[in-house]
Amino acid sequence: MRKTLTLTDILITIVIAFIFSVIYKLWGPLYSFIGILGLHVDQLIYGMWFMAATVAFLIIRKPGIALLAELAAAQGEFLFGGQWGISLLLYGLVQGLGCELIFAMYRYKSYRLYVTCLAAIGAAVGSLLLDVFYGYIDSLALWNLTLLIVARLVGSILITGVFAYYLVEALDKTGVTKAIRPVSNDDYQRLEDEMR
Amino acid sequence: MSISISYQPTWLHQINPSFKLLTLTALFIGLLFVHNPNFLLYMITGIVVLYLFGTGHRWKVIGLLAIPLTIIFLSSSTTMIFFGEGEQTWFKFGLIHITEESFYRGIHLGLRSMVFGLLSLLFALTTRPVYLFYSTMQQLKLKPKYAYSFMAAIRMLPIIVEEFQTLRQALKVRGVQYSKGMKGMYEKVKLYAIPLLAQSIRRAHRIAVSMEAKQFSKNNKRTFYYHLGYTNKDLLFFLSLVVWLMISYVCSNQFTVFPVEYVR
Repeated sequence: MRKTLTLTDILITIVIAFIFSVIYKLWGPLYSFIGILGLHVDQLIYGMWFMAATVAFLIIRKPGIALLAELAAAQGEFLFGGQWGISLLLYGLVQGLGCELIFAMYRYKSYRLYVTCLAAIGAAVGSLLLDVFYGYIDSLALWNLTLLIVARLVGSILITGVFAYYLVEALDKTGVTKAIRPVSNDDYQRLEDEMR
Repeated sequence: MSISISYQPTWLHQINPSFKLLTLTALFIGLLFVHNPNFLLYMITGIVVLYLFGTGHRWKVIGLLAIPLTIIFLSSSTTMIFFGEGEQTWFKFGLIHITEESFYRGIHLGLRSMVFGLLSLLFALTTRPVYLFYSTMQQLKLKPKYAYSFMAAIRMLPIIVEEFQTLRQALKVRGVQYSKGMKGMYEKVKLYAIPLLAQSIRRAHRIAVSMEAKQFSKNNKRTFYYHLGYTNKDLLFFLSLVVWLMISYVCSNQFTVFPVEYVR
C-alpha cells in the first residue's frame, strides 16, 4: 500500500475541497445572518466547515488527506474573498489537525461511522481552542458557553460525521471511488484467489 | 463561462504574493494578542484608506464587497455584548445581560473581524492566484505537485458551475418534485451533490493522470513560466505596515476613544 500522496490524490482532494469551499462561501452569509439572533443557533450549522476533511478522507483514505482538504478548502474560500479572511487558514489548520489526529489514532484503517463522528468532534475541539484566542469564548457567561459547545458538537457530529459518511456511501455506489482508493489487502487477496 | 473584472494594477499588485501572504498571516497571529480596542480602531482607519484607494478596482466592486463586512461586525460582536461576563451592569432583560466589560469586548471582537475581513479582501483583490502558486513554489519551496494541483483545480471550478446549471435545467425539464421540509432538502442535496462530486472526481482523476505523465510532479531542476522575485515594493509594503502599526500604538495611548484599554 503506497502511503505517500501522489499528484492524483492531491488533485482530487483539492477539487473536492474547492467544491466545498464554494459551499462554505455561501454558508458564510447564512451563518452570519443567523448569528445576529444570538443564542448560538448558528453553531448548529458550524459543522459544515469541517465536512471537506471527512469526505475527502473517506474517499481517498490516506494519511494527510484530511489536513490537506481542510487547508485547501480554507484557501479556496479565502481566494474567493471569504469574509473571515486570513483567519480561515489558521482555522483550517487546527480543524484539519483535529480530524487527522483521530484518523491517525485508528492508523488510517478504520472508515466506520463512529470514527467519522469522532473526527468531527476532533475538528470541533480544534476550532473551539482557536476560538478562545480569537473570540474570547471563555469570557461568555457559563450557561452561554455550554450552549455554544453543545450546539457546535451536535452540529458537527450530524453534518461532518453522519452526513459526510452517508454522502460518501452514496458516492461509492456510483463506482467513482474505486479507481482512486489505494489497493487494500483484500484486493490483493482477491487477485491471488483468481490466479489460483 | 467567464468572469472578467477590470482593474488598474497598483503597487499592491506588484508585491511578492507569498511575502504578502506571510506578512498578513504574521499580522493575524500578532493581532490575536492585542486586547486594546483603541489600537484596532486606529489600525482599521489605515486599512480602510488602503482598501478604498489602493486596490485599483472600480467603486462598484469595492462597495459591493464591503457590505458583508457590516454583517460580520454585528454577528461577531452581538453575542459577546448580550451574553458576556462583566461587573458593571448597564442593562438586564431576561437572559440578556449587557455590562460595560462585555460591551467593549464585543466591540473589540467586531473590530477585529473587520480588520481581518478588510485585509483578506485587500489580498484577494490584489493577488492573482496563478502568481501566488508560482511564488510559493519559487520562494517558499512548496512541492510543484501541490502548487500545480491547486492551479488545475481552480481551472475546473467554472466547469463545475456549468455542470451545476445543466443539472438544474435537466431536473427542471424532467419535472422533478421535491418533498416539503427536511426531506426535500435531503433529496435536493442527493440529486445535486452526488452527480457533481462524482463527475468532478472522474475529471480530476483523468487530468491528474495526464499531468503525472507530463512530469508535473517532478521536483528538482524545474523551469518556470513565470518568474517571481522580490522588489522594493515589498520593502515599501512592509515599512508602511510597521509605521502604521507604530502610529496606531502611539495614538491609542495618547487619544483614547473607548474608555477601556484591556478587554480580556
